[in-house]
Amino acid sequence: MRPLLVVVMLLSTGASNAHGQIPLLTVSGSPSAMTVSVATAGSQPNAVSDNSTTYSALTVLLAPKKITAQVNSNMPTGVTLTITLAATTGAISAGAVALDAVARDVVTNLTNTLLETKGITYRLSATVAAGVVLIASRTVTLTLTAYP
Amino acid sequence: MKASRFALTVILMLAVGTTAASAQTATQTVTFAVTAVNTISFTGAPSLSVTPAAVGSSDASVSDATSTWAVTTNQSLAKVSAQINLAMPANVTLKANLQAPTVGLSNGAVTLGITSVDLVTGITKQAQSGLTATYVLTATAAADPVSSNRVVTYTISGGS
Repeated sequence: MRPLLVVVMLLSTGASNAHGQIPLLTVSGSPSAMTVSVATAGSQPNAVSDNSTTYSALTVLLAPKKITAQVNSNMPTGVTLTITLAATTGAISAGAVALDAVARDVVTNLTNTLLETKGITYRLSATVAAGVVLIASRTVTLTLTAYP
Repeated sequence: MKASRFALTVILMLAVGTTAASAQTATQTVTFAVTAVNTISFTGAPSLSVTPAAVGSSDASVSDATSTWAVTTNQSLAKVSAQINLAMPANVTLKANLQAPTVGLSNGAVTLGITSVDLVTGITKQAQSGLTATYVLTATAAADPVSSNRVVTYTISGGS
């Protein structure tokens, strides 16, 4: 019996925190549609932002995490979508990160073991070179994964 | 039997631990669009004064190039046209000459009237400022003395 008890104790420490929770990442929903439509003469069109959504995250003790973000397909030429995640306690936000089909770090060193909810800000910008872009959508995937 | 129970327990706990340590994901749908953007602006309020030439002499002209204009369009083949609110007095002509942006074609000095006329065409996907707007006032020898003003209205028409 002794070897069985030792194995159970060692493995259960890494599986969840003291509250029995596992690493978690959720979002409050999707942002409102964003449209670039105005410019000051002589300047590139005005960017627009949305900060209506939030994310909630936690990890387990001694298991720091990071959050990456990517879109399912690249933005149209001349159009840029950035995402900013406010950092949870002790974590580091990468600030505004331009999204593409490659997972990019947006928050690192996430160590909070209690669930925290923080804001997400999207910013859409377009140069005149983008032309008119008919309404389209992208799926943004946020991933909570091991750090470093 | 003890050895196999031990092995089974280890396998079960490793499976739970592996599931708990896997990445968590969440998704959002971002909907966006870029509409047609066409806007222009002008700076300056030029003032021109010309003394009609003597009879038999060439027309007298003065010019003012102190105004500038700016344009932003995300379309192709946009154009800028202009008109004035009232016809010019007899024997007096007002022309406007807009410097074209990098991609565009200026029609040079164009006589302004109450009917809109094209000054710059072919403007394609440009955001440019500080472009020169030159006015030329011309009076023939038959022009009467006059002091007046005109409102020049510029319009950008989007392309495609």
